[in-house]
Amino acid sequence: MFRFKVSWKLWPVWAATVLLGTPPAVYSQSPDSNQTELIQSLREKIDQLERRMAQMEELLDARTAARAKPEIKPDTLREPIAPMGGPAHPMGTEVRPSELSTYPSLKIAGFGDLNFATTDVRGSRSGFNEGQFVLHLNSNLASKVTFLGELSLSARTDAGTGTPPATGFNVEVERSIVRFEQNDNFKISFGRYHTPINYWNTEFHHGQWLQTTTSRPEMTQFGGRFIPVHFVGALVEGAVPARGLNLNYNIGVGNGRGAIISRSGDFGDNNNNRAWLVSVFAKPDHPFGLQVGASLYRDKITPTTGLNAREWIRSGHIVWRKENPEFIAEFANITHETVGARPATFNSQAWYVQAAYRLPGVAALWKPYYRFEYIHIPKSDPIFQGVPSLAGSVVGLRYDISSFAALKLEYRRQRRPDQQRLNGIFGQTSFTF
Amino acid sequence: MPIMSKISVLMLAALTLLGVSLAGAAGDVAVVVRADTPVDDISFADVRKLFMGDRQYWNSSLRITVLIYAPGARERDVMLKTVYAMTEAQFQRYWISKIFRLEASTGPKIVYSSTMAAELVAAVPGAVAFMDSAIVPKSLKILKIDSRSPGDKGYSLH
Repeated sequence: MFRFKVSWKLWPVWAATVLLGTPPAVYSQSPDSNQTELIQSLREKIDQLERRMAQMEELLDARTAARAKPEIKPDTLREPIAPMGGPAHPMGTEVRPSELSTYPSLKIAGFGDLNFATTDVRGSRSGFNEGQFVLHLNSNLASKVTFLGELSLSARTDAGTGTPPATGFNVEVERSIVRFEQNDNFKISFGRYHTPINYWNTEFHHGQWLQTTTSRPEMTQFGGRFIPVHFVGALVEGAVPARGLNLNYNIGVGNGRGAIISRSGDFGDNNNNRAWLVSVFAKPDHPFGLQVGASLYRDKITPTTGLNAREWIRSGHIVWRKENPEFIAEFANITHETVGARPATFNSQAWYVQAAYRLPGVAALWKPYYRFEYIHIPKSDPIFQGVPSLAGSVVGLRYDISSFAALKLEYRRQRRPDQQRLNGIFGQTSFTF
Repeated sequence: MPIMSKISVLMLAALTLLGVSLAGAAGDVAVVVRADTPVDDISFADVRKLFMGDRQYWNSSLRITVLIYAPGARERDVMLKTVYAMTEAQFQRYWISKIFRLEASTGPKIVYSSTMAAELVAAVPGAVAFMDSAIVPKSLKILKIDSRSPGDKGYSLH
């Protein structure tokens, strides 16, 4: 057998080899991409194991606390069949067993978007602009009490001007709602809402990522005056089966529009006359995916001009709540009855139709869409002075770059009375986190 | 040694085949609840409402807790295909959107194995889950769907 004999007479050579030879070998293993990936992979593995250990401990606690000991034969059940982790989102489905009865259970999620716009309108400038940075807070305060908050930060056009200089962003409490639930038929809540008389307003809120297109329809724009976007007050809601029609209802009372009619009466009602609303919609068992609804809203408006008017809003929507195809259509009629020496009535209408289709198979990440919208406002309506009528179309394409982020590109064409026609290209990346 | 090796290989092959045949024989998927849950037979439309969060209470004093398998499980695939009629990505967005709208205060709880599913259904009042009907513990109640049990002709979840 071969034997390797070390000659100790050569120790200086060995020492030199160790001292001089080893470092380059070590340095040659400096972190490269493979090693970084390996470390990352090991870290993730450790994190997964730690999470799993924590879940096991929590599960053990839950079992101990259980009133009835279940009769389970583990040997008849399968071993874990799914990997730990997977797509997770703070508002998604990743919930640990211990969270079943932990109060308060605050969760924070958010939405963001960045936009690019270029149009042919004289004097306009193309470029990027920050969209809204939206924080969504959700907390169960008890088994039947829930709080929801929605905060938005929007870039200001006057940032840095004035004394003291204006900040770069406006902070707005978009929604702040505390809700008490009796059962599915009856829930009562108080707070600041997105007025539940318009489908888009209560379906997508400030989550640009949730909506197919880059922007909301003009009739329900944030900061717009056509639909009262916000509502401060109380709301009773619920659902009844109604032989498969699944009727949902909202009944609300609140402050209505403020003196600036695009604002809700956050600080109080400016005319001591409450607004009220009734909204009903059906989500029938068959066909699955259909939603049809109608709403009625009544308020007395006292804008800064000092003119009083009664406002009636009648609206309706029909929606196919799927993606192949997706279909949303809404209509609203707003009646203003001025109060005073010369009472008069004015009717304004707005509607839009949007269709989209998520492509099948390997192209499933792509979703082309089209929307047509129309707003008619009589020039003589004193409440809507300065709110222009509109006819316009958008056609675009959405690409879901991941489960939680999307890219959208659309062409928009709009025509308003007495204004230059607008043709523009709009891009957006929107995401949730 | 060679004989022992051959026996080992044969046993391994037999176990593998057995495993494959068992996996292939996966049966209907059952909707399971605790034994004290006040329901025995529900419609498929109601199953859809339960798992989509449109119905959140068994009654005024008992909230429904939905348990859903993590991605990769057959039960989850059946649920997405038959109940939600959605892809995985659509399912994720559905729940994010639902909580954002305050239509639900929390999403479904994720379970990673049938053992975990069975233990949580047994431990949490009002919990409901999908499980392979062949491995449901006796302590849990299997709900009939449109008066049909798993294995019956016309049963909808498979």
